[in-house]
Amino acid sequence: MDSPRYILTFVFTLTALVALLLTGMRQVTMEKANLNEQIFNKRAILSAVETHLPGGKKVKELSDEEVLNIFNTQMQQIVIDTKGQPIEGVMAENIDMAKERKKPEAEREFPIFVYTEGETTCYIFAVRGNGLWDEIWGNVALESDLNTIAGVAFDHKGETPGLGAEIKDNPAFPRQFIGKQIFDDQGQYVSIKVKKGGAEKGNTHQVDAITGATITSDGVTKMFELGLKNYLPYMEQLKAQQKNDAQGMLIQ
Amino acid sequence: MEVLNIFIKSAFIENLVLAYFLGMCSYLAVSKTVKTAVGLGLAVIFVLGITMPINWLISEYLLSETGLLGIDLTFLRFILFIAVIASMVQLVEMVVEKYSPALYNSLGIFLPLITVNCAILGGSLFMVSREYNFAESISFGLGGGFGWFLAIVAFAAIREKMRYSNVPPALRGLGIAFILTGLMGIAFMSLMGIDPMALSK
Amino acid sequence: MAETTVQEVKKEPFFGKKERALLLDPINDNNPITVQVLGICSALAVTSMVFPSLVMAVAVTLVTALSNLTTSLVRNMIPKQVRMIVQLVIIAALVTVVELSLKYLNYPVYKQLSVYIGLIITNCIVMGRLEAFAMANKPWRSFLDGLGNGLGYGAILLMVAFFREIFGKGSLLAGTPLEIKIIGPTAEFLINTKESMLFGWYVNNNLMVLPTAAMFIIGIFIWIQRGSNKKLIDVS
Repeated sequence: MDSPRYILTFVFTLTALVALLLTGMRQVTMEKANLNEQIFNKRAILSAVETHLPGGKKVKELSDEEVLNIFNTQMQQIVIDTKGQPIEGVMAENIDMAKERKKPEAEREFPIFVYTEGETTCYIFAVRGNGLWDEIWGNVALESDLNTIAGVAFDHKGETPGLGAEIKDNPAFPRQFIGKQIFDDQGQYVSIKVKKGGAEKGNTHQVDAITGATITSDGVTKMFELGLKNYLPYMEQLKAQQKNDAQGMLIQ
Repeated sequence: MEVLNIFIKSAFIENLVLAYFLGMCSYLAVSKTVKTAVGLGLAVIFVLGITMPINWLISEYLLSETGLLGIDLTFLRFILFIAVIASMVQLVEMVVEKYSPALYNSLGIFLPLITVNCAILGGSLFMVSREYNFAESISFGLGGGFGWFLAIVAFAAIREKMRYSNVPPALRGLGIAFILTGLMGIAFMSLMGIDPMALSK
Repeated sequence: MAETTVQEVKKEPFFGKKERALLLDPINDNNPITVQVLGICSALAVTSMVFPSLVMAVAVTLVTALSNLTTSLVRNMIPKQVRMIVQLVIIAALVTVVELSLKYLNYPVYKQLSVYIGLIITNCIVMGRLEAFAMANKPWRSFLDGLGNGLGYGAILLMVAFFREIFGKGSLLAGTPLEIKIIGPTAEFLINTKESMLFGWYVNNNLMVLPTAAMFIIGIFIWIQRGSNKKLIDVS
């Protein structure tokens, strides 16, 4: 039993068996799993605009069909490059932020979802960064002024349950972001800071950190700042366009 | 410079045991005497120091989409990392068994359990999420291992002295060890947030 | 290994005294956390709240029982030189099977649990029991041993989490529909510290949220356990 030949055969057979089992299972389950994942991700995007959902519903209360329906009728998908120029022929939902992060900076592409419900329009941007153990990511929805936050939804790969995982599990954490602003009074980009020890009262650019999860909280600050920075050129163009439209309206 | 900073940071400021509370099982169980603690500490330095660069190469050249295979295999990260760790620990076990049977016996089940010592897998995951380069990953592995070594040796020394103190019988041994670790952790909190980069400027 | 198989020719009862002990001993006398010192890291990490502890307890119980069973079935074929890799392949394969099926059946639950995967694979209870028990015992007994150790681990986890959540967050079972908000500074809590005359001074203890608190609480548990169970007292 201790002969090298037996050991090699054993390890080889075991690896082959396990690999076969896992690959087989992955093949069988992949299609349905991918569909499940798509719907899950779409729900995550909708969570960022939960306050503006049709009929005042919560994301949880929507059926899978309703989710897909909202994406077909009320969601406009845009993909931009680093200069804020739209790229034709790509759907925002097919952009994988994890892969984009690994590309050279100049080649990255960023997804934007424009959500309209009645009179309101929200712009949903994707951000991604690092937590303590692994990646964290989120969807940030801005009101049509491109400054006030309409809502955020975070997720993570492996933060500690009860500590770092609270960015997703504790609804009070993302709720703090609603109504905060990413530009200061002079129009300078300041992002949002997740502040250890509690946000200063009345400061529209800070939220409370999670006790005991300093690194994850710092990760959220960094992810927010760098993530939204990618969209600044696009926001400027859009603001200029809004101004033009408004002037156009006045002249008419 | 960055490499040295990472070493100091991972050994003292972000000590795997006392700041992150990783690798606790063997830390608590094998710290009755300084001698065994030194043995286990050295084993951890070796395993961390060697698995970190190997895992770095794996995640950079095998698992990532820009690597040699050209497909995204990150879902295999756990299994591969842990397989590397397991084979290194197996190697350590064979060496220790051959050259120091006494140490081998006193470490008992906790020698193979280095494999699942969360400090080791945790270290590899930290390395990926902090986006270290190859040199930095070596420094992080050695620094983290050194920090773990220091912590367990210091702890074992305190526990040796503890024998002469009048601890309530039911609290003796493991009970007081837990409380001691808690106190050491609080002491280490005061180091958190120090940035060696800022100090050297 | 070969000797034991020869000796056990006598027919043994399906669930006799020994089996009972295997299942119940780890809950108190041979508790994985407070006596065997296994699985401490995860016991420190997830116990800041009750719900994650419950999830972790169930998951670890299942994984320990099943990996004990599987390893015990193939125990006589595993060469000693590569046994750790083999054990870990078994654990990792089991966890991946569960992961894949959840992805297929219920994606939100998969997402919720995927966070625990690293904590389960590196949980030394799983591999500790493989090394200490399943490598030398029959499948059914190994299965019971895994089940018992998972339960003993879960019991400590839930007790620690109970205290940490109440004193650290002022709530209980947060994250579930059964959430009870006990004490805190808003009207949502049963005792509103802003308005209460008696509890106006009360603030949640932030130390309780940190892993340090779990060290103290487990230390005190050990004190209580050994105080009432003299044979566990450390003589050295």
